[in-house]
Amino acid sequence: MSKKLVIDPVTRVEGHGKVTVHLDDNNKVTDAKFHIVEFRGFERFIQGHPYWEAPVMVQRLCGICPVSHHLAAAKAIDQIVGIEPEDLSVPAQKIRKLLHFGQVFQSHALHFFYLASPDLLFGAESDPLKRNVVGVAMEYPELAKKGILMRKFGQEIIKLVAGKRIHGISTTPGGVHKRVSAKERTYFLDGKDIPSIDTMIKWSIEIIDFMKSYHITNKEFLDTFAKYPSGHLGLVNKKNGFLELYDGVLRATDSDGNITLNDVPNDDYNQYFYESVKRWTYLKFPYLKHLGKEKGWNRVGPLARINICEGIETPLAERERLDFKAITNGGINNMTMYTHWARLIEVLYCAEMMKNLLEDDDILSNDLTRKGERRKEGIGIIEAPRGTLIHHYEVDDKDRITRCNLIVSTTHNNEPMNQAVRWVADNVLDGKPKITEGMLNQVEVAIRAYDPCLSCATHALGQMPLEISLYDSLGNIIDVRRN
Amino acid sequence: MKNKTIVLGIGNIGRQDDGLGWLFLDFLKEEGFKGIDVEYRYQLQIEDAELISHYDKVVFVDATIENIKDGFYYRICEPSDKFGFSSHELEPETILFLENDLYNKNPKAFILGIQGYKWNLKMGLSKEAKANLDKAEKFFSSVGTSSV
Repeated sequence: MSKKLVIDPVTRVEGHGKVTVHLDDNNKVTDAKFHIVEFRGFERFIQGHPYWEAPVMVQRLCGICPVSHHLAAAKAIDQIVGIEPEDLSVPAQKIRKLLHFGQVFQSHALHFFYLASPDLLFGAESDPLKRNVVGVAMEYPELAKKGILMRKFGQEIIKLVAGKRIHGISTTPGGVHKRVSAKERTYFLDGKDIPSIDTMIKWSIEIIDFMKSYHITNKEFLDTFAKYPSGHLGLVNKKNGFLELYDGVLRATDSDGNITLNDVPNDDYNQYFYESVKRWTYLKFPYLKHLGKEKGWNRVGPLARINICEGIETPLAERERLDFKAITNGGINNMTMYTHWARLIEVLYCAEMMKNLLEDDDILSNDLTRKGERRKEGIGIIEAPRGTLIHHYEVDDKDRITRCNLIVSTTHNNEPMNQAVRWVADNVLDGKPKITEGMLNQVEVAIRAYDPCLSCATHALGQMPLEISLYDSLGNIIDVRRN
Repeated sequence: MKNKTIVLGIGNIGRQDDGLGWLFLDFLKEEGFKGIDVEYRYQLQIEDAELISHYDKVVFVDATIENIKDGFYYRICEPSDKFGFSSHELEPETILFLENDLYNKNPKAFILGIQGYKWNLKMGLSKEAKANLDKAEKFFSSVGTSSV
């Protein structure tokens, strides 16, 4: 009798999703899918609102990366009021970037210490009662404390700029509404009340060193688990092709490093992307038009960004990038588990950039806003922690939003995550007489590497228990496990 | 200089009775209770374990669906290593456990649970929840600062 395995919801990710694996009579995998079962419809209900409300409203998409949505929308709304990213005042650019680096820093720290490290420290098939952040805190207290304080530091930076750690407001059309005071920045520099930015840099290096040690003893796992060829997409600095998180041009490569999207300006994104839909998930599948559905999909996020960039402007992170690239002899890395390592390089990059910005007197300036000539359309693209985030708005003469298109990071990663699920199904579950909890967790380990934010991707509210159900071919439940 | 007591209100005023935790904090501020810090939370975060380690006493205030005879309860919070399936589900007991395990300051901890009834996307408490909030506020007003 053929069977269908269901993992619902997938755990230790942001939001709710489920996985189904179909097995035939011999427990051979016949199909595997990653479904996103949430729906909220932000693109629709934002229509009719005044354009200046967009950066405030859309950040409610998510409690983990509200800053990313706030800034992407702000960049788009800047264009509505006639301001290109380079036209912002220098202080406004730097204050926004400080906010963005704080956001990426805290989000990456949260993911590594809270969601991913239990799998790495204890093993994907270890006791699930221990395989969580509480287990990490009990067995690796110093690591846990650093993780907590790194996350806190990023959150405090967000609070500094946006007023609140979650759902704060910083931007105004054409700028920001608040400067940083000298006293406020001292809080992050002197180490009296919280560990200083220099400590954040030191700890970021220590965590990368941990990852390198892990690599030595677990190389085969990192090299092989959920490895598959893919495209890689992200922003790069328009002048030198370096890693860029706030504003750049779109670049993509195929799995061998051949350029498939050649430094395209943000305003032209619509000429290059299509999104397909499938009946079994609310999440769309973006792809590059000229390559088609089968070959045009791309990974986004830390691994993609490190793959496509030509350098990093901060010295310590650049040194780490070079070490990372040496593993693949300078070529493209298609090994999914290296995403964790790439993420930690970005943690260090963000820490270095925050130090640069905190020590820059421009953030103390009151020169905060610019005005230009009103337009009817605005496009904002940034690199959110999880990858390329696109906000696109059209407005009418009465300042009302008439159209909104959001392509969020996790949406880009939809096909890559499905590929990851299929890899685990084929390589771990296939043909096994008994499917264990540890095997099922490996499906989640593959998905977790992408740090998917399912709330962002489709946007849901609600509560679900962890439930894993086993179905026969007629749809009858023959086994259920609950968390 | 921090105070010795922190009160963490958990919830969302955009979800009707889920706003009980925040509204109780508003009450504390309006009444001018001395010696306490307050923090508004949509949900508890792991770094709250570090935050509460700086205090002698912590009170978690949240709406609850439990059926409570008096409309609210105020009880000791015991540390627990139970862990939910996502980062959106951190319980006060888990935060206290993490504090005890990582920082070992062991603040006295309490949970104020106030019964709520409606949780839709809407501002404003239900009539029943408002009555329960009033009871909780009256209780704390009568026993004074030391109770908080």
